Amino acid sequence: MNDPGQIDWSQKNSVVGKPLPRVDAGERVEGTAKYPADMALPGMLHAKTLRSPHAHAKIKSIDTMKAAALAGVKAIVTSGDFHDVPVGATIPMGEAGYDMWMVSVINIARDKVFWVGQPVAVVAATDPHIAEAALALIDVEYEALPAVMSIDAAMAPGAPAIHKHVITTGLEPPAQVPSNVCSRSVIERGNADDAISSAAASAAIDTTIDTGHQGYIEPQAMLAQVDSNGFAMVWAATQGQHTTELMISRMLDRPQSRIKVVPVEIGGGFGGKISIHGEAACVLLSEMTGRPVKMVMSREEVFQGGSGPPAAARHRIEVAAEADGTLTAIKGLYRQDCGGLPGLPPSLMMQASAALYQAPNLHLEGYDVVTNKPRTEAYRGPGGIQAYFAMEQAMDSLCQKLDMDPVEFRKKNAAVTGSTMPIGTPFPSIGLTTILDAVSKHDCWTSPLGEGAFPRGRGFGLGYWRGTSMTSACHISISGDGRPMVTMGSADISGTRTTMAQVAAEQFELSIDDVLVTMGDTKSVGYSDGAAGSRLARTMAAAIVEASDKALAELRTRAGRLLQTEPQTLTYERGVFRAPGAAQGGASISLAEIMQATLTDGAILETGVSTKLPLGVEVAAHVADVEVDTDTGQVTVLRYTAFQDVGRALNPTAVEGQIEGSVVQGLGWALTESFDYGDDGRLRNASMLDFRMPTALDVPPVEAVIIETPVPDVPYGLRGVGEVPIVPVGGCVANAVARAIGARVPQMPMTPERVLKAVKGR
Amino acid sequence: MSSSQKVVVTCRVNGEDHTVLADPRDTLLELLRDRLEMTGTKEGCGNGNCGSCTVLADGVAVCACLVLAGETDGLEITTVEGLTANGTRHPVQQALIEHGGTQCGFCTPGIIMSAVALLNEKSKPTDAEIRHAIAGNICRCTGYEKIVRAISSAAETSATARAEV
Ligand code: FES
Ligand code: FES
Repeated sequence: MNDPGQIDWSQKNSVVGKPLPRVDAGERVEGTAKYPADMALPGMLHAKTLRSPHAHAKIKSIDTMKAAALAGVKAIVTSGDFHDVPVGATIPMGEAGYDMWMVSVINIARDKVFWVGQPVAVVAATDPHIAEAALALIDVEYEALPAVMSIDAAMAPGAPAIHKHVITTGLEPPAQVPSNVCSRSVIERGNADDAISSAAASAAIDTTIDTGHQGYIEPQAMLAQVDSNGFAMVWAATQGQHTTELMISRMLDRPQSRIKVVPVEIGGGFGGKISIHGEAACVLLSEMTGRPVKMVMSREEVFQGGSGPPAAARHRIEVAAEADGTLTAIKGLYRQDCGGLPGLPPSLMMQASAALYQAPNLHLEGYDVVTNKPRTEAYRGPGGIQAYFAMEQAMDSLCQKLDMDPVEFRKKNAAVTGSTMPIGTPFPSIGLTTILDAVSKHDCWTSPLGEGAFPRGRGFGLGYWRGTSMTSACHISISGDGRPMVTMGSADISGTRTTMAQVAAEQFELSIDDVLVTMGDTKSVGYSDGAAGSRLARTMAAAIVEASDKALAELRTRAGRLLQTEPQTLTYERGVFRAPGAAQGGASISLAEIMQATLTDGAILETGVSTKLPLGVEVAAHVADVEVDTDTGQVTVLRYTAFQDVGRALNPTAVEGQIEGSVVQGLGWALTESFDYGDDGRLRNASMLDFRMPTALDVPPVEAVIIETPVPDVPYGLRGVGEVPIVPVGGCVANAVARAIGARVPQMPMTPERVLKAVKGR
Repeated sequence: MSSSQKVVVTCRVNGEDHTVLADPRDTLLELLRDRLEMTGTKEGCGNGNCGSCTVLADGVAVCACLVLAGETDGLEITTVEGLTANGTRHPVQQALIEHGGTQCGFCTPGIIMSAVALLNEKSKPTDAEIRHAIAGNICRCTGYEKIVRAISSAAETSATARAEV
C-alpha cells in the first residue's frame, strides 16, 4: 500500500476536505475515457430517429416499407412495437415518483405528435449514413393541428386544448373541460393584498423568461445488446442507471431482471439525462436483429425536440414593506411552460422562490401550462433561476424604494433556522445570516465599483434550493490485498467517484490511492436513485460510512481471530489492527495480511443504504458587477462572486468547480441563451452558434466563497452543492443591470436588444 | 445519399501513416473515430461550433468535423492520443488534472489541442490570450477559470522545462 506517512491521521478529516485532483482525470485528459459514442461492438448497427416535422399533428399512418427495403437497413420500430404505457403510470423516484407516461411519449410518439422533433420511428442500419438515408424513405401521413406556442396563447380563452385528458386540477369549483392549464397551486398565509395596499413601500415586476437548455456538450448516446436468451445490456450516459433500467423495463413491458444498465462516462447532464432518450428503442432493435445497436444524437436533434429543455416562464412578483424595511408581503403569480406534456405542479418551485424571506403575508399562485414545445426536463435547481429572476428583482426594487442596502434588507428579513417556511413547517438548519454577514464584509461588496466608459452597476441576489435525499446504495468489498473496493449504485456526474473515494479513504484511514470507487451496473449493486437534486454526495457518503463500518467490523473479527485477541480490544489505525501493548512489540496485523490469511473464509462484501437523510437546504448569495454599453445594450460582467454554505466541502476544488460552472451556465441564460421558436413550432436556432452559450471570452473569473457550517445528522455535515449556484444568477445580474442603467429589464435573457429597449424607455 | 461506395483515404495521424477505406461523406472526425477507432476526439455539434473535435493539422488547431476525410492527405494530424509520449503527459494535460480543469471531460481533448496550439506559438500567453485561444471550445461544466489557470501554469512548466534543457 502507499505510504500513508504524509497524511496526518491524528486529525479527523484528513482526506476529506482536501482539494485532491479527480481520480478519473487522467483518462479524461488522455482521451481514453469512454462515453457511449466511443463504444463499438462487433456487428454493431447504427440507429437514427425520424422526428416529427409538426408541432402538433395527428399521425394518420406510417409506412416503413420503402425504408426497410434500402440495402443495409436491418430493422425499424414505431409506436406499435412498444408497450402502451397509460397516462398516470409512474416509476419509483422520490416522493411523487416519475411520470412514466411522459417518458414513453418523449421516446416515441403514439397517434399524435406534440412538438417538432418528437420521435416517430427509429431505424437500425449497418452504417449511420444509411440509417439517415432510410429516414427520408419513411412515409408518415400527418393531419396538422393548430399549435400553441406560448404561455399566453395556451392560457387564452378558447385556445385549442392539446390534451384531452388535461383538466386543470386545483380549481374551485373543479374544472370540467380539457384545457392547457394542468394545475393551479396556491400557497396562502395572511392577506397579501391588504398588506400590499397598506404598506409604506411596495414594488412589482412582471417577467418573461425564454426557454433555455442544459447545454451538455455530449449529445445523448447509448448502446444496447440483447443476447439470444433475451437478456439486454445497455451502456448509457445516464444520471441514474437504475432509473434507466426501470424506464426501459416499463416501456418494453419486460422484467427488470432481464435488463442490465451499465453507466459509462457522461459528458454533462445537469438534469437532462435523467430520462431515457432512445435506450428502449435500441434494445428493441437489437432484439429484432440479434446485433448490437448504437444511437448517437446529433446536436440538432438534442436542441430540436430530441431532449427536454428547462421551462420558459412568466412570473409576476409583488412585494411590500414597512418604512423600516420589514417585509410584510410577497404576492406571486407563476406560470410555467412545461412543453408538450404535463409537468410537475409548480408548488415546490413557488415555495422555494419565497423561502428565504420571512413574510407574514403570502399569496403565491402558480400554473403549469402545456404548449407545443418539447416536454421540459430538469435543469439544475429546476425552475429556480426563473423564479429568482423575478423574486430578486422585486426585492431589489423594494430596496431602492426604501433606499436601503440590499444586503441589510435581506439580513432584516432573512429566514432563520426554525422560522416558518412557506409550506408552514419550521426551517431546518439554514445559515442564511452567516452568508449575508460574509457578503457584507467581503471586498466584492465593500470595494468601490470603479469607473468605466459606460455605466456600471453592482447587483446582489439570493437563491434557495431544496435538495432531495432519496435512496443511495453502495457495496464495499475488501480485495485480497486489503484495499476497499466501493461500488456505487449511482452514476458519477460531478466527480462523485473522487469525493466518495475521499470518504472511503477517510473511513478506512487509507490514502485515496488505496481505495477504488466505481459506478456499478444495475445487476451488481443495489437500487439507488439517480444523481440529481444535489442529493448524491450526501446520501452516498452516508451509505459508504455504513458499509465501511460493517466491513471494518468484519475485518476486526478476523483480526482478533488471527491475533488470538478479543476483537474489541484491538485498536485500528491506518490499515492496521493492533493488539493491546502493540507499541511495546505486541502483535499487529494489516488489512492485506488479514485478507491473505482469510481469503478462503469467504468474501467481505458489505452494503450501505441511505434512505432517510433530511432534505438538503441549499442557499447561495451572489454579487455581480456589470458595465452596460448604452449604445448597443451589451452587458459585460466585470466581476462575479458566489457565496455558498456547503456544510462541509468534501473537496474544495470540486465544490468550486460546481459553483463556477453553475454560475457561468446561469450567466448564459441571463444574457444570451434563448430558444427561438417560430409560430410553426420549429426551433429557429437549433445550433450552438445561434443558441449562444458563454465562451471563455464572455465571462469573468468567478470567485467562489465557500462557507462551511456542518449540518447536524448528516455524515461530515454535508449540504448539497450543485444546484443552487445557478439559482441567483439571473436576478443578481438583472439587479446589477438595473442599477447601472436606472431601468429594469424584465425579460431573460437580457439580450442587447432588450437592454437597449430598457435604456430607451428610461 | 444512396452511395455506400467506399474510397481509399491516406492520412498521417500522430506520426503514423494510415490507408483506410472510408465513406466519401466522412469527415476527418469520422475518419478518426469510426475508421481509425481513435475516439479521444469528441463530437459535440458536428458543425464547427463547439470545438470538442479540435485536432492539430500541421500544428494549426482545426475542427475535425469541418474537414473532409479526403482532404487530409499530406497533412500531419495530431490528436489528443498523440500527446502522451512514453507515458509522460503533455504539461497541458497534467495541469488540467491538477487544477481541476476537467469535469465531465467531454470538452477536454478539444481544449487541450487548442491550448497546445497556443503554447506552440506563444510560450508565455496572457490570460486574455488563453481565453482567446479556447474561445472556440465550449465547456459547460467548469466556467473556464480552472482551465485558464491550468493552461497558464502549463506554460510556466514548459518554460521551466525548456530553461533546464
Ligand atoms: S464537433 Fe466539431 S466543432 Fe463541434
Ligand atoms: S468539462 Fe464538461 S464540458 Fe467541459
